[in-house]
Amino acid sequence: MSYKINLNFKKELSKYGAGNWNECFHCGNCTAICPLTEDGFLFPRKGIRAIQMGMDQKIESNVDPWMCYYCGECSETCPRDANPGELMMTLRRYLTAAYDWTGLSKKFYASARWEFGAIIFLFLLIVALFAIFLPPSSKILSNPSAFINAEGGVMINQMVEGFSANQFLQIIHHGDWTMAIIVALLLVSNIFNMFYKVIIKDKTTKIPLTAYIVEFWHLIYNFAFQPKFSKCENKNYWSGHLFLMTGYTIMFIVIVALLPLFQIEEVKPWFHWQRLLGYYATFGILYFLTVTTIGRIRKKDIKFKFSHPSDWIFIVMLGLTSITGILVHIFRLTGLPMLTYIMYVFHLAVLVPMIVIEVPFSKWAHLAYRPFAAYFARLKKAAWQYQVNKGKVITV
Amino acid sequence: MEGNRIGVYICWCGTNIAKTVDVEKVAEEMKLLDGVVVSKSYHYMCSDPGQEMIVNDIKEHQLKRIVVAACSPRIHELTFRKALENAGLNPYMFQMANIREQVSWVHSDREFATQKAIQLVRGAIHRVRLHEPLEKRSVEVDPATLVVGGGISGITAALTIANAGKKVYLIEKSDKLGGHIANIDLLFPNLQQASHVIQSKIEKIREHPNIEVFLESEIEKIYGFIGNFETNLNHGIDKKLKFGNIVIATGMKPFVPDVVQSYGYGKLPNVITSLEFEKMLMEGSIKTKAGFEPKHIAIIHCVGSRNSKTNDYCSRSCCSTALKYIHQINSALPEANVFDIYADMRSFGKGCEELYTTASKNNVAFLMFDQENELPIIQASKSDKESNLVIEFKEILSGDMIMVPADLVVLMVGMEAQENAKLTSQIFGISVDKNRFYMEKHPKLDPVATTTEGVYVVGACQSPKGVIDCVSQARAASARVLASIAQKTVEIEVTTSTVTEEVCCGCQTCISVCPYKAISFLEDKSVSFVNEVLCKGCGTCTSACPTGAIHSKHFSYKQILSQIIGILSNN
Repeated sequence: MSYKINLNFKKELSKYGAGNWNECFHCGNCTAICPLTEDGFLFPRKGIRAIQMGMDQKIESNVDPWMCYYCGECSETCPRDANPGELMMTLRRYLTAAYDWTGLSKKFYASARWEFGAIIFLFLLIVALFAIFLPPSSKILSNPSAFINAEGGVMINQMVEGFSANQFLQIIHHGDWTMAIIVALLLVSNIFNMFYKVIIKDKTTKIPLTAYIVEFWHLIYNFAFQPKFSKCENKNYWSGHLFLMTGYTIMFIVIVALLPLFQIEEVKPWFHWQRLLGYYATFGILYFLTVTTIGRIRKKDIKFKFSHPSDWIFIVMLGLTSITGILVHIFRLTGLPMLTYIMYVFHLAVLVPMIVIEVPFSKWAHLAYRPFAAYFARLKKAAWQYQVNKGKVITV
Repeated sequence: MEGNRIGVYICWCGTNIAKTVDVEKVAEEMKLLDGVVVSKSYHYMCSDPGQEMIVNDIKEHQLKRIVVAACSPRIHELTFRKALENAGLNPYMFQMANIREQVSWVHSDREFATQKAIQLVRGAIHRVRLHEPLEKRSVEVDPATLVVGGGISGITAALTIANAGKKVYLIEKSDKLGGHIANIDLLFPNLQQASHVIQSKIEKIREHPNIEVFLESEIEKIYGFIGNFETNLNHGIDKKLKFGNIVIATGMKPFVPDVVQSYGYGKLPNVITSLEFEKMLMEGSIKTKAGFEPKHIAIIHCVGSRNSKTNDYCSRSCCSTALKYIHQINSALPEANVFDIYADMRSFGKGCEELYTTASKNNVAFLMFDQENELPIIQASKSDKESNLVIEFKEILSGDMIMVPADLVVLMVGMEAQENAKLTSQIFGISVDKNRFYMEKHPKLDPVATTTEGVYVVGACQSPKGVIDCVSQARAASARVLASIAQKTVEIEVTTSTVTEEVCCGCQTCISVCPYKAISFLEDKSVSFVNEVLCKGCGTCTSACPTGAIHSKHFSYKQILSQIIGILSNN
């Protein structure tokens, strides 16, 4: 098949990141130095060529950008300063929008106003919901000691007016689940869209059915450990990311799936496993936040040199979520019920937009697209191998 | 015989000759011949010490005639003649025997080769005994110059030479001056109006007192040689022109792309050549045949160039012209998409890479194709929605088959030699290369001269080139012409023919065979007469003369026969 050339594509793509793709004269040094590129998935040069030529169909059917973990070696090697690493990042943003059937992702990437608007809307929605349906107990200021437990900490489920501790916990728990299901539905439908663009539309590669099962473990393996990332020259990025990723996953499981186990009145000793898990997660997130914030401000490391608004929004939202979360913890331990309540509301008011916007529509979507890209790449390789084997049988 | 004191020198040519020929034996044998005073062998006769040896021997032994047995006279005859002159001898008292190309390089038997060398040298000695001193002669250089072709190259050469105060005859085939540049809108790399460049020059030519322009004129025959050419101009009435030098600037012919099937030129109305596109630009309206403004314009490079089925060579100026188009399209139709389909982008030269850099910032995609194996295919679009044409090809840098929409396709046609280039080259006595472009004398050391003295080639008739190079060559050739005029005289051939009037029967056979029109018939005496200025000494008349009345200097019957006798004899 022939690809159509779309000259307006470059204009479209420039919304997703800094582009000096015109600089590239195709020496191929970037592909030569990349430790991750392989036969069948040659990048970044081919991606840059596809951008230059405006082959949007080809770009959307390609998983290459997800196989790049942006170590920045290509950009450092590039003799034309075309910045192939950032171009791959730009393509990942573009693909996130391309997979999203709602069109919201495109809006968020293209316009900071849309993204801020959505965040503020969700923030105010959560605050309003608390103010109307879950206001603080009327006694919280007049008799704060009534909310303190035996260990001297705030009894977190008894801060609101009109609901028992168990009722409050169930409301929050159901709210969490509602959010998680909405996000999951959006994400899964987008993954199907990705599957359609990458696998179904590619008429040249027929995936053998067995491959879907045989290669499935790659999806899990890549989700859990990012083995490709570890092949980048600088291993610190991979280990740092793993720290963040495991920390965040723990946090997510704790607040969504196991909330009744963790949001309890009793304050456990600091060495209790439940608290230690929380601390691990918090430090993982903080470590990552510190590295990326400093990196993006200093702009010394090529990986952090170019920041799209979506990069900063991600850091700020995660930072605010962490800080409010930590403050909830501190106010609780120091026995300040009103401040605990206020911070709890703020915490949820930043956490909800962060997850609802970042996971299906923005930067955080990579948590799904990267392992699926690795899975789809394995499927294609299996199909090629199958074709080769079949070819051999015929010719012999 | 005092007048026959002969020096014989056998060259080793390193091992080139000495390996196969016993050079010392040859030298020894020659000592036995009549009149041979000195006979030596030496490693390199052409070297400075070799030549000095000859000069010293001439002085020491009062030698009157010299024989050198070495390589071909084409290589070193002039070298040794010069040595004789330096020693005060007439340079024609010299004969060369070729014992390298004719002996050592073609034989392997040493004894046989040595014997053959001895015979050849002996022939040379026999011949040199009969040599006569000939005097060098020179004639005045006619200060007028003929410039053939009224394009930018010819116009520039004519003006440069005329501005130095010398007469110029400018011949143009068509009915107006200006050539191809008159049909161009802007010139790369500075996007200057071509008409500004050419019109002011044409005005100057029209008013120039030293330039005589002949439009609608062609040259059929040239007589003479450097300094003294002449022609009969078929220009309404016959006109005879005399001139000392010739500048050929006959230009090129644009490639006609209908032979490239896949481009559909001539069948698809919106596929046009770069020249047709220039016309649109000059008229200030880029339109499809149907009269619409094109939304997508494709430019295809190397049309007729760098492909074994058409022409192998690069036409040097099309890439930069295409880049110029990108600028022009972008300023005329800022919304239009431009697809530049190229094989290799050759934007060399001052200001041209910059032209590429700025062009690439426009709304343009540079797409690379395989010029030898997979030319793009242009077809009418099946759905008229986006564009009326579709170009399909494998894009090399991506490795993908692609489809490019186009409302207008501009074919960057290359340059070819003029249809009659071969004939023209014969008229002026110069050579053409395999693509029928005129051959320069030396691509680096003498790039505008030809192997015929006094004839220069400039501009696109020599090889495809742009205006900048054409003008440079025209100026360079003008300098050569003016230098020749400044010398005032030029040496001419001395080995000419003469007629012994007493023996001439007036049959005029010689007149009919002379390739240089050097012989005329004296009606009053009823004999032929050789104009020694025009005679090149080819000897055709001498061999054709039935009565033996014509004598070629330095190639007399006696000289040639005695050489044969020498070769065949044993002493």
